[in-house]
Formats: sequence, C-alpha cells, structure tokens
Amino acid sequence: MITEFIDGPLWYFALLVFVIGVAWRLLAIFRTRSKPDFSVPRGSAAASAVMTGLRRFVPRPEMSPRIRLHVVAGYMFHLGLFALLLFAAPHVLFLKENLLGFGWTPMPYWAFIVSSQIAFAGLLLLWLHRILNPVTRLISDADDHVAAVLTFVVMLTGCLALMETFSGLRVLHRFSVELLMIYFPFSRLMHAFTFIPSRAYTGAWFGRRGVDA
Amino acid sequence: MNQTKPWQTPCAVVLSRMLTALFALVLVMPLFAPQARADGGVTAGKVANPGAELWREVRQREAPLAGATQVTGMDSGVLINTLGEQWRRFRMEQLVPVAGALIGGVLGLIILFHLFKRGVRLEHGRSGNYIERFKEIDRILHWYVATVFIFLALTGLILLTGRVVLIPVFGHEVFSAIASASKEGHNLFGPLFLLGVVGLFIRFVSKNFPGKGDLGWLLKAGGFLGGKHPSAGFFNAGEKIWFWLVIVVGLTISVTGLILEFPFFGQDRPLMALSLVLHGVGAVLLVAGLFGHIYVGSAGMEASLESMTTGYVDVNWARQHHDQWAEVCEAEGAVIAGEDLKKKQQLRGTKNRVPNRPATEEGQ
Repeated sequence: MITEFIDGPLWYFALLVFVIGVAWRLLAIFRTRSKPDFSVPRGSAAASAVMTGLRRFVPRPEMSPRIRLHVVAGYMFHLGLFALLLFAAPHVLFLKENLLGFGWTPMPYWAFIVSSQIAFAGLLLLWLHRILNPVTRLISDADDHVAAVLTFVVMLTGCLALMETFSGLRVLHRFSVELLMIYFPFSRLMHAFTFIPSRAYTGAWFGRRGVDA
Repeated sequence: MNQTKPWQTPCAVVLSRMLTALFALVLVMPLFAPQARADGGVTAGKVANPGAELWREVRQREAPLAGATQVTGMDSGVLINTLGEQWRRFRMEQLVPVAGALIGGVLGLIILFHLFKRGVRLEHGRSGNYIERFKEIDRILHWYVATVFIFLALTGLILLTGRVVLIPVFGHEVFSAIASASKEGHNLFGPLFLLGVVGLFIRFVSKNFPGKGDLGWLLKAGGFLGGKHPSAGFFNAGEKIWFWLVIVVGLTISVTGLILEFPFFGQDRPLMALSLVLHGVGAVLLVAGLFGHIYVGSAGMEASLESMTTGYVDVNWARQHHDQWAEVCEAEGAVIAGEDLKKKQQLRGTKNRVPNRPATEEGQ
C-alpha cells in the first residue's frame, strides 16, 4: 500500500512540484527587470558575464588560504553528487524507463563507490564547516540545515539500497528523493539552477562598468 | 515316522539351513566386531556410510590439503575450509558475548560513576576568560572522525550482534534488510574513517608523545587517587592513551576492513579469518573506549565540550585540567577576555549582535 503510494501518486506529485516550482522561481527571476542603463559601456557585458561565470569556479587568490577546505569539500561534494545522480546505473535505468526513453553508459560499480565516498566526505566536511565556523554558523539558518540533512539522507538511503535486493530500502530511498524534490524549489537548493545566471548577471553588470567582477 | 512333509523338498531344506547359518552368523558377529572396526570400519548392526571417507577428505578436517584443479585463484583447490567454522564459533560463542559484556560493562560503570560522583566540576567556577584550545580545522577533523566512526559502530554492531539482538525483535525478514543496508553503509564509510584517522595522526601526533607529568597522572589515575588533580600539559596521559588507541586500533580495523572489503588482491582465507578477528576485537575495544571518551568530553567533565565546539576553554578549566599548558598560554598572553571573545566568535551571540567592525573589514 505504502510502496504503491510512494512509487505512484507521491512520485508524480513530487515531480510536479519540482518542475513547476523551479520553473516558477526561474521565471520570477528572469522577469525581474532592472532600470535601463544609459551610460556609455566601458567594457563588454557579455564577455564579462561569461568570464565571471568561469572565473568563479576558482577562488580569488587573496581568499584561497582561508577557504581552502570550503573549496575542496565543495568540489568533492558537488562532483561526487552529480556523478551519482547522472551516471549511477540504477539512475540511468530509471531515467530511461520513466522519464527520457533513452539512456547512456553508466559508470562501473567501483566508480559508484568512489563517487559516493567523495560526495559523503565533502558533504560532511561542508556541514561541519557550516556549524563550526563562527561566520558560516551566523549566516546559516534552518533552510541550510534542512537541505543538508535531506541531501545526506537521500544519498545515504541510496547507498544503503545499493544491493537492490530489498524493496523496502529502494522505497525508502525513493521516498527521501521525493521529499527533497518537494522541498527543492522553496529552498536554497535552487542554487543548482540559479548559480550560472547569477554569476552571469553580476559579471555583466560589473563588466559594463569596466570593473573586474 | 521318517515321513517327509510336502514342503520339505531338497531345495527348501538347503535354503532353510542357509538361513539358519546366516542367523547364527549375525548372532556371533558382535564377538568379532572390534577386530572388524579396526580392520575396515564396519560397525556392528550398522554399515558405515560409504561416502564418509570421501566427505572426510572433502572437508579436510585433518589438514587443509588443497586438491589439484585447473581453476586458478586463491584456495581454488580447497572445497571446504574448516577455518570458516572455527571463525563462526569464535564469533558466536566468544566475540559476541564478550563484546556485549564489555560495552555493557563500560556503559554501566559510566552510569554508576555519574550517579555517585556527578562528574568533575570546575573547582573555582568560570573565570570568564578564555584560551584557544583547538583550531577550526582540528575541530572539523574531530567531528568528521566522530560522525563516521559512530555510523560505522552502529552498522558494525548490527552486523556483529544483530543475529542475537535484532532477529528476536524484528524477525528474519526485517533483519535481512537492515543487515543488507548496514553492510553497504559499513563498507562505504570504512575508507572515510581511514582518511580521518590519518588526518588525526598528522594533526595531533606532535602533542601526544609521553611527557613530563604523564607518569604521575597515571599513578594518580587522573585525580581519582590522591585527591589533588595531577599536573598535565596540553594533553594528559589519559588523552594520549586514547589518541594512540585510536591511531593503532583505528588503523588496524581500517586495514583489516580493506582486506575484507576488497578480497581480490591475493589474500587467502587464513588472512581473511585473522582480519575478521582483529577487525571485530579492535572495533569492540574502540566502541567501549568511545563511551568513556564521550562521557569525559561532555557530562563527565564540566566545560570540556566547549573546546571541541567553540575551540575555546575557560581559563579555570585549563588551570584545573592542563595546568602546564595553561601556564604557558598565560605567560604568552594568549588569554582572551570573555567580551572580546564574544565579539570575535559570536559565542553566544545572535544575528542582532554582530560586533562593530572597522570600515576596512566591512569591505572584505
């Protein structure tokens, strides 16, 4: 009964909330119009938008010693997570059968294990940094912690169900994914979609004024 | 009188005499039984299983002989390795009961100690001034190892004792799912623990060599004997012992765990069995020690936990538990007034109490 509900109605509800919620928030951001800028451009806004988008992948040299752990853990978590999300064999199969109709070559089992270990270590270090560093602790609120815990639970239940032998473990993973999908549009997890336009906007705004963003 | 009956044909007579002889033979057989067993393994009234010899050879009870086979691989010529049975019996009859007794005993002692002694209080209360004890990276590393180890301990204990503890509660079906999940989680987090232990070693080894006052600290059992709190440096002897236990046993269970998790590097079954024993015993030791560590670092010693949450300790705490270190810090002027620390670290601050910063810092 619960299994059917999680595999059926709750999945479609979560998918609906996720798609509509993300689209709604992105539309809201893109529809926000700033005042027209009549000043003479001192630099290329487009070039700066692209350059800033790329440059922000690397911390500024003057900041790097202080945020080294943050940067390394951040890359560990995000790269590991996206490898799991897009190239784990069960995910590729699920996307092919339920959403896309086509698949791609999944990563081997050992790569799955290594990716998940890297992602877990990264997430744990990031969260510990968040609560142990006085600055990040001060600027963090419940949303940050809920998002971190939900993501951790999703990854954990996924890895615990790795043997794919017990239906209960798979359902538990799917349930946690659905909770995350419902929570996603209303949280800072939206940065997965907004970080590129955000960087581009900042880069363009400063670039037009001839300022290094 | 010598009249023969119709059924007493010569053939029937011969047959009846043969049956009589056979019956007599059966009756007499037990007399010769010992000799028969010694000669050929034939027991009285019971014929030995003709496959017994074969299965004895297959099980290789007497000696772990390997047969010849074209299959290449470790132990591919061994059909049944009796070491597995030895390990199973050790696990069920010794490791599980001893683990339960040890962990339960430590927990019981801690509860008793806390009920009677109420932990160690600050003798002179709080001073309101602080000394930095652990840097942020040290605290992150500590909690990283703690989190991973607690997860490993939980999943490991489920795998070790679940058959005895959980099956009676949840039944076989639920336990099999829990055990499967625990095994996957345990294997996944194991290597993360190894990285953490190596990190701990690198960060803390320089402060954990035996030093002045350690012997005295041990002789006074950290202050439990003799009344007065013994002198200690940055780490006391108890903390140093815990550090080396974590490093040595932690590395042992990590390496044995890797041997078990990746069984395709030529390790044979005796090595695997030894790894299982070392892994189980070492893990149980660390779990038992962990309870003591958690207690001393929290409810068992007033104001201890702050060193690993904020990174700072009260000066009175430092003087009471680590007087040599406190003396050096005070001589170097490393004491920070409570108000300054609040401004610096927002120890108990809220978002509305952000300290005023110079204009130059605002822009950074």
